[in-house]
Amino acid sequence: MLKTAFLTLLSLAIAIIGGGGSVWYALKVQDGVGAIRIGQWTAFPDIGTPSADPYSKARVAREGVLALGRAEGLSFVAERDTGGAELKRECTYTIEGGFPTARFWTLYAADQSLSVVETGKSRLAALQSYGVVRQPDNSVIISAGHHPMPGNWLLTDGFGRMYFVLTFYDTPIASSTGLSDVSLPRIVKVGCDA
Amino acid sequence: MRSFYAAMRRLLHAVLLGLLGAGIVHIAVLLLVPEFSERDAWSRLSMASDLYKMTRLDAEAGGAPVVKSVDPLFYATACRFDLGEGLVRVKAPGHVPFWSVSVYDRSGHNIYSFNDHTATGGVLDAVVLTPAQMIDVRKDLPEDLQGAIFVEAPIEEGIFVIRAFVPDSSWKPIVSRFFEQSSCELQDF
Repeated sequence: MLKTAFLTLLSLAIAIIGGGGSVWYALKVQDGVGAIRIGQWTAFPDIGTPSADPYSKARVAREGVLALGRAEGLSFVAERDTGGAELKRECTYTIEGGFPTARFWTLYAADQSLSVVETGKSRLAALQSYGVVRQPDNSVIISAGHHPMPGNWLLTDGFGRMYFVLTFYDTPIASSTGLSDVSLPRIVKVGCDA
Repeated sequence: MRSFYAAMRRLLHAVLLGLLGAGIVHIAVLLLVPEFSERDAWSRLSMASDLYKMTRLDAEAGGAPVVKSVDPLFYATACRFDLGEGLVRVKAPGHVPFWSVSVYDRSGHNIYSFNDHTATGGVLDAVVLTPAQMIDVRKDLPEDLQGAIFVEAPIEEGIFVIRAFVPDSSWKPIVSRFFEQSSCELQDF
């Protein structure tokens, strides 16, 4: 009798803890269902639309996100450099390459919650396409780090994990057909502060 | 020995049953999260302000941001509406480098979006209404609604969000004024 009660409780415990925990874990990981990967960059074109998968819907409800619409823009998040290592706030990176067609784009350094990195200075840890210096072939080279650098400098600060968020506004790539042959800039690690 | 095997089999049975249950609980919890979330955008906005009231979403207006407005180079403002009470008209006079609009339903799904290239002369003037209200409005279009963008949304409660680009800090007062002049009103028809 006691054994039956124990086995029933065991089953219920596995069901409830396992079920709840797996949902919590699935919503926590950045790389989810419905992601599109281009190089180091990940986008969720369907997030926040009625046609999104149940995981995206739950994430939207839990985090209170109001996702960008198709006519507004599309965001890409990078969490690793081209070497496959996680991005660190104490390191210096070069972001270089061509950018797909859009009215303009913005790039910022973000923390775990994808909010902009606090720099403690009046300069934001963000750049936008109207304010960058371009190469003769229209590509852009951006240096991201703590110390001022010539050319396009994206100021970062602090220690720990970092993400780059690149958002294209009013862009044809936001429609799903345009995403197939898009190339995005590469993120190369230059060095790290000890 | 035989009773040991029997006990093991029963334990294995219980664990398998538990795993099956975990799968069912996983699906049930996943589908119920959007229904019962008290942290979604609508709930957060309703704590901050009333229906038909423009509320800044970015931290610039003072205090913590109501809803996470992602891009630091953007300002955003939102108002909640209920189409069951009538159509809602949103206007924002003035010009900024870029603005875009999204209409969300009660659970935060993006129903419709457009940007300043869609609007007549780049001026934001939009009406959100249900398909049934659209039929009524079409019969006799009022003079002052002629230039407006009509957003047909098969919803009752929803959120209207305006985002505007702030290229650098010199644009901050201009974009702030653009939002201060914006209005979100229940339209009599």
